[in-house]
Amino acid sequence: MAKIELRNVSKRFGNTVVLENLNLTIEDGQFAVLIGPSGCGKTTVLRTIAGIGPQSSGQVLMDDQDISDLPPGKRDLAMVFQNYAIYPTMSVRDNIEYGLKNRKVPAPTRNKLIAEISEIVGIAPYLDRKPAQLSGGQRQRVALARAMVKKPKVFLMDEPLSNLDAKLRSQMRVELIELHNHLKTTFVYVTHDQVEAMSMADRIILLNNGVIQQEANPREIYTNPCNKFTAQFIGAPQMNILPLPGSDMSFGFRPEKVTLTEQAPDAFLKKKARIITREMLGSETLYQLRFDKQSIMVKSLSDVFLPGTDVYFSLRKEDILLFKRDENRLYPQEDGYGQALAAAGRV
Amino acid sequence: MQDTGKLGRKVLPYALVLPAILFLLIFTIYPLLDMVYMSFTDWKLVQPAKNFVGLHNYRYLFGRSDFWNALGNTFYYSVLTVISQFCAATLFAVWLRKNTRINSLVRTALFTPHIVALLSVAMVWSWLMNEDKGLLNMLLNLLGLPGLRWLNSAETAMTSLVIVSWWKSVGYYTVIIFSALQTIPTEIYEAADLDNAGRFSRFFRITFPMISPQAFLCLITMTIGSFKVFETIRVMTGGGPGKATYVLVYYIYMTAFQGQFKVCLACAAGVVLLFIVGLLTALYFMLLSRKVHYQ
Ligand SMILES: Nc1ncnc2c1ncn2[C@@H]1O[C@H](COP(=O)(O)OP(=O)(O)O)[C@@H](O)[C@H]1O
Ligand SMILES: [Mg+2]
Repeated sequence: MAKIELRNVSKRFGNTVVLENLNLTIEDGQFAVLIGPSGCGKTTVLRTIAGIGPQSSGQVLMDDQDISDLPPGKRDLAMVFQNYAIYPTMSVRDNIEYGLKNRKVPAPTRNKLIAEISEIVGIAPYLDRKPAQLSGGQRQRVALARAMVKKPKVFLMDEPLSNLDAKLRSQMRVELIELHNHLKTTFVYVTHDQVEAMSMADRIILLNNGVIQQEANPREIYTNPCNKFTAQFIGAPQMNILPLPGSDMSFGFRPEKVTLTEQAPDAFLKKKARIITREMLGSETLYQLRFDKQSIMVKSLSDVFLPGTDVYFSLRKEDILLFKRDENRLYPQEDGYGQALAAAGRV
Repeated sequence: MQDTGKLGRKVLPYALVLPAILFLLIFTIYPLLDMVYMSFTDWKLVQPAKNFVGLHNYRYLFGRSDFWNALGNTFYYSVLTVISQFCAATLFAVWLRKNTRINSLVRTALFTPHIVALLSVAMVWSWLMNEDKGLLNMLLNLLGLPGLRWLNSAETAMTSLVIVSWWKSVGYYTVIIFSALQTIPTEIYEAADLDNAGRFSRFFRITFPMISPQAFLCLITMTIGSFKVFETIRVMTGGGPGKATYVLVYYIYMTAFQGQFKVCLACAAGVVLLFIVGLLTALYFMLLSRKVHYQ
């Protein structure tokens, strides 16, 4: 159990700056998910915490102790690598045991731990196999077991499920959540998959180009994004963002907040539009609408509207988010909010 | 192609490998079998008659001390070259992995001796190791050390030959092992860092097992190569001083083409060499191949 803190951490590879003055705190016992587009620096943050490829400047603290100069093996954390990084020449048992041996854990304790952990992650039958004889899911479990067996204060996981098929992924997702509930250890989990982030995180840290865009719990980050990037990154299909008439600002709304009707409704924002495509998702239906050369996505419970027909779409006042010219949110308490919202209603 | 039909398609592969097979049959298999056959006769180069004499040649060989001496020398030379080359090549390769500017230069330089003809190498080294006028002794003297006797003393001659073979081949093996090292993914070492692995454990538990297929190949090539040592002996020592560097292949050569031209005896010695090399290779496979990690 430990709190992790990054203070003014920068990381450069030659001339490329990947992180600059990053500040980040992950509370003890938290399931923190680092999410962001590919290449934004998620792995770099994780490696900085682990101490592999150390930061160019800044400090890493664990429980308020500066561990910047501590080698990775002495940091009391375990990492699951994106491609697992299992030792190919060692059997599953040796893979799990290696870290314990290096820490001079006595053999009886080692055997007990291995038996216990391999039972939990379900690899007990494969302990004497070589990694090459395992499936992707089994390898993933070996990597997990290798991390768990050390009983670390912090788990670092770099897209651990990205190489698994959809079914296994959702199964492992549940298992990891249970594991976290059971261990109550700090987890730092990297993913580029927002479903994983939303379903697993206590706290989501959204990163773009090495800069933290927003840090909040899943609900907050979904309903109350603080800038355009966050608004559009989280949520599928992504939030509709349209220019605000008569200004250089913009406004946005989630596809599922739109109501579709055949007759003009009585609503804050209403507009006639043509249905371009209809996509059945099962319980919901996804429509693409076009009006005034603009296109929006709508997620509706109703599947009765046909492509080529005209409908009215409408929105409530409270479902509209406003964004300033610099792409940050314009909040209700700020100057010019009322005016801008009124402009949105006149679209 | 469509017209060739079923028969054509069956025959074509054999037709394509036929030249290689013919070459192998004429220049490898046939001489090999002929050698085995001749080792059971009393044929000499200077007399046309070939009489079957059974195991007589082998009994004769194993009764001679100079043959045992040649066998012993060969083993001595082999053990020394294989062990020293193997360790040196591995160490060099590990060192070269640290990618500095010197290292990329060294990498090229190391390979150069491999493409120089062994005969020239032997001649240059004879000069370098010359007791009175050689460069090596000159350098030793410059450092205030006494010169060595190199090829002129029974004690140092064999080691001197090992040094030459070392200079000639260590770069080649280094390059092989180095390229094997290059294929090890770096994440494995990062995982080892997190597992708190020490330097030795990291080498013996991770690096070495990862390069074991190439290391195994090197070991076999080195062993066979060292049993075939001939050029350096022929040029540099002629088996001397005394019989200190008289090795098996040189023994075969001398028996067949010098003195009484006893080809039959040379063939018997050749069969012995074949047998030893085959046995060693089989032994390597039996003892080591289970430890070799193939992807
Ligand atoms: N060893 C390296 N050398 C140079 N650039 C690197 C290196 N590692 C990562 N980068 C760069 O740093 C940026 C962030 O990488 P990374 O943290 O791996 O992103 P993510 O994990 O979010 O996909 C990328 O633009 C990548 O090109
Ligand atoms: Mg990554």
